[in-house]
Amino acid sequence: MPDPTPKAVYRHVPISGLSGDELLALSQRSKLSLSREDMLAVQAIFKAENREPTDVELEVIAQTWSEHCKHRIFGSRIEHTVDGQSEVVDGLFKTYIKQVTERIIAKKPDFVLSAFTDNAGFVKLDDELAVCLKVETHNHPSAIEPYAGANTGLGGVIRDILGAGKGAKPIASLDVFCFGPPDTQQEDILAKDVIHPLGVMRGVVRGVRDYGNRMGIPTTSGAIQFDDTYIYNPLVFCGTMGVIPIKDIQKEVKPGHVLIAAGGRTGRDGLKGATFSSVSLTTASHEEDQTAVQIGNPIEEKKVADFILAARAKGLIQFVTDCGAGGFSSAAGEMLSETGGEVWLENAPLKAPDLESWQVFISESQERMVIAIEEKDLPEMQKLADIYETELCVLAKADGTGILKVKHHGEMVCELDCRKLHEAPRRHFKTEWQNVDADEEGCYISFEEPEAGNEMLKAVLSDFAIVSREPIIREYDHEVQGNTFLKPLAGATGDAPQDGSVIRVDGSNQLVALGLSLLPELGKTHPHLMGRACVDECIRQLVAMGANPDRIAILDNFCLGNPDDAYELGALVETTKGMAQSAEIYGAPFVSGKDSFYNYFKTDEGPISIPCTLLVSGFGVVEEASHVVGSSLRKVGSKLFLLGQLASGLAGSVFARMVMQGSEDPEEDGLVFPNAPEFDEQTAFETYKNYFQLVQKGAVLSAHDISEGGLAVTLAEMAFSGKAGIKVNLGDIPTTVELQPAEYLFGETPACVVFEVAPEHAALAESLGFTAIGETTADGQLVIIDDENTFINASISELKPLWQNGLTPYY
Amino acid sequence: MAKRPHALLLKYPGTNCDAETSRALEAVGFETQVLPIALLEPHALDNTQLVVFSGGFSYGDYVMSGRFAKLNTLAKVGDGLQQFVSRGGHVLGICNGFQILTQLHLLPEGSLIHNTSGRFICRWAGLKKNASSPYLQGLPDEFELPVAHAEGRFVGIDDAAGEYVQNGRAALLYTSDVNGSSQQIAGLQDETGRVFGLMPHPERFLFKKHHYDPDWNGDADHGWGYYMFKSVREAV
Repeated sequence: MPDPTPKAVYRHVPISGLSGDELLALSQRSKLSLSREDMLAVQAIFKAENREPTDVELEVIAQTWSEHCKHRIFGSRIEHTVDGQSEVVDGLFKTYIKQVTERIIAKKPDFVLSAFTDNAGFVKLDDELAVCLKVETHNHPSAIEPYAGANTGLGGVIRDILGAGKGAKPIASLDVFCFGPPDTQQEDILAKDVIHPLGVMRGVVRGVRDYGNRMGIPTTSGAIQFDDTYIYNPLVFCGTMGVIPIKDIQKEVKPGHVLIAAGGRTGRDGLKGATFSSVSLTTASHEEDQTAVQIGNPIEEKKVADFILAARAKGLIQFVTDCGAGGFSSAAGEMLSETGGEVWLENAPLKAPDLESWQVFISESQERMVIAIEEKDLPEMQKLADIYETELCVLAKADGTGILKVKHHGEMVCELDCRKLHEAPRRHFKTEWQNVDADEEGCYISFEEPEAGNEMLKAVLSDFAIVSREPIIREYDHEVQGNTFLKPLAGATGDAPQDGSVIRVDGSNQLVALGLSLLPELGKTHPHLMGRACVDECIRQLVAMGANPDRIAILDNFCLGNPDDAYELGALVETTKGMAQSAEIYGAPFVSGKDSFYNYFKTDEGPISIPCTLLVSGFGVVEEASHVVGSSLRKVGSKLFLLGQLASGLAGSVFARMVMQGSEDPEEDGLVFPNAPEFDEQTAFETYKNYFQLVQKGAVLSAHDISEGGLAVTLAEMAFSGKAGIKVNLGDIPTTVELQPAEYLFGETPACVVFEVAPEHAALAESLGFTAIGETTADGQLVIIDDENTFINASISELKPLWQNGLTPYY
Repeated sequence: MAKRPHALLLKYPGTNCDAETSRALEAVGFETQVLPIALLEPHALDNTQLVVFSGGFSYGDYVMSGRFAKLNTLAKVGDGLQQFVSRGGHVLGICNGFQILTQLHLLPEGSLIHNTSGRFICRWAGLKKNASSPYLQGLPDEFELPVAHAEGRFVGIDDAAGEYVQNGRAALLYTSDVNGSSQQIAGLQDETGRVFGLMPHPERFLFKKHHYDPDWNGDADHGWGYYMFKSVREAV
């Protein structure tokens, strides 16, 4: 190992005499990602002190104020215009996330234990234990280096959980990806050095696999979306759930506490990751920004995890947080933000020689945690570190001055007032959104040919949006820790899809269900409805799996292209408003969230942005193991019921996309789908509560939500359990208006679930307002009829391989 | 009431199935101690009846699986484990533990190498007993357990695998090809029958609800893994 740097290496940067243009040029040259207004504010801070900043100070401010760390767009003032009507949004986060959650907490005390203050929000599981969930994105790194980007994406969110409360134990992970289609032709990619979607997919999956499996945390839930718009900016969401004793949630740094850093050493990897994430990608990014991507070492993290959990159990931890974006600067900066204190950079163990002072302070080298302890506990901590074979150093001490002082070999390289550091100038934006014309009629697709329904169903089941993720799921250890009660694949042969997963929690009789939803195709035309539908789908999955509808918490993760584009930001505002509306009606608080901007790529032929993408993930309490409901049919002779009402409209559906892709010029051919299926949250939530009554009585054998692919796909997937066929009569299905066959079969109405009950419980289901739509059969066929026609009559054994093997050739 | 037998679970950096393996050991009546390897001293083996190597990725398994664990174990206790076995002690290795026992030469010669697919696999596998073993006595001739490994394919020199199937060292076989293992070997025992290693994870099928099929019955009150640990308990 190299010797520590022998002396401080830093310089003063003269900025007091620079003009706005010169300041902006300095920001760009030094990759600070600060705007002209930001740089002027920085200039003012140092003018007031009558001195020039050091390079360390500029870097600290740049990372603290970066979009990645500060989420300034969600805090900005936005003049939002929809269909010509303008309004002012005084902070998206405050208005549509925080205040919504505060109102829910007021109505539902004793559920949320913390939200928005810690690394992850906590909800109460039982009298002793709390659970938390955090989801992060690692998009830019995964675009440039898929394996390492995804590897450290998962590693980073696991550290978030280790740094939540006084150290939560990670118990399950989820991963959600958005990629270009696997069959993209290389010559169709418009910029050189962009990695082909197959390379991105394989690298990302292996990155997640190698981190999660080595950490011994089951990766139990996930999803993949494929779309051309993600070729240049793939999205990688990694999430981890944790559990902690309620008494260990509250934490505080007090003057006199010693801050120790534990885990991996500090090097040059991951320099300026926070600021790198706050600009768009270009071909040059693939050449120049490699140092922004970190290098993962899961065993280093496993050791520090074991160390932290042991130290927390012994009551030695006063405060802990992870070194994420911004490294020591953000971890120590956050911990000393109230008290102030002194940092000693020369104490940090290094893995590279000749680091400059700023590099030691902001390096995003992985697997490092910062822990505040009582000084007297240092020997005990050192003993534990030796047992778990992790390295620790004394990094800083809190002193109550309110000033962050960073010293390197005795020289003061940074001295900033913590208050000024956390007051970034507010940003202002304007948007413009135009809704689709609601009066326009959609096209009619005929299913009169006898084989048309079967062929369409086969095509939909083979589409990348629907096919089984089995080759990927099998690469993740989804059963380590021995608590995965509802697995991602189940049924008679353990290979049929489920709505999510359910995790048993050691030390509790209650379990936690994990669900998630993202619907970017719908959001391209109907962002407000997408926001609502994502919240609904996530909650609906949790309810379907047996969670109590009143004990659900959710997370929002947004990804957007260019926030300076009025139309793109308009879609984001609409999405946020929709999401807030549904969350409030369902009483599902947001307990954590994150946003990622600048997911656009400057190709030679102009910028390409991702569509506004919202991932809603959630966790719900399943009160008894007997409440767990899977999505695979259980028995022949059961009754099938529909929760909800099918609505008209095909916009955003897999079906509509396939029909349009099958045409050279969809508009010319009259293939237009302007309307999307509507739903009502009040009604939906009542039906969820009624369904939960059935769950509590043990009446639900299996249940599956209607989502991508619609009713026909839902039924087929339930039958992939291998235990029964299905016969359903469309004439029995409740609808809001008269529907065309395509809407019955392939429409994706939110708030709908198909569930199976034994005949003896059918009357109970009916008494709660649910409608029987068919039954499970012994003939191994999926049959969907109405009073006159047979739309689908296909053998399950013929359908299943189309779905099961769809991804196999590509992975 | 008789004193509960003691099980010592060795935890290396990267060992990660220690909690659920302890849970299984406790469920069948062992008093279980999880010992970080840094604290291992030769006399730790004096007062225990069962030494357990659980699943995980010891030291990351970046070289060959179990290789570093072997070197560090030998550095700590020398031939202490061999002596422990000759004194009548019992040893169980699961997944990475099986890999470590193989490296330590406590089990018949051979190696556990990358699956033929070249990938990690997480699924359930059918298993059958090929020879009598005290560790399997409470189980039916055929049963199921989950597997999760990247390096689970057993290979031996010449036809060692065939020999082990003949002489009963290969006590446990897969019912179909899972990872390319020679002779579909899933678990091995030494000549005393007191050292046993297997790739599948019995600790992940302790409860009936661990099964992927909610209608699984198997004519049993617990998962098959429970009966394996119960057999270990009875053997000790």
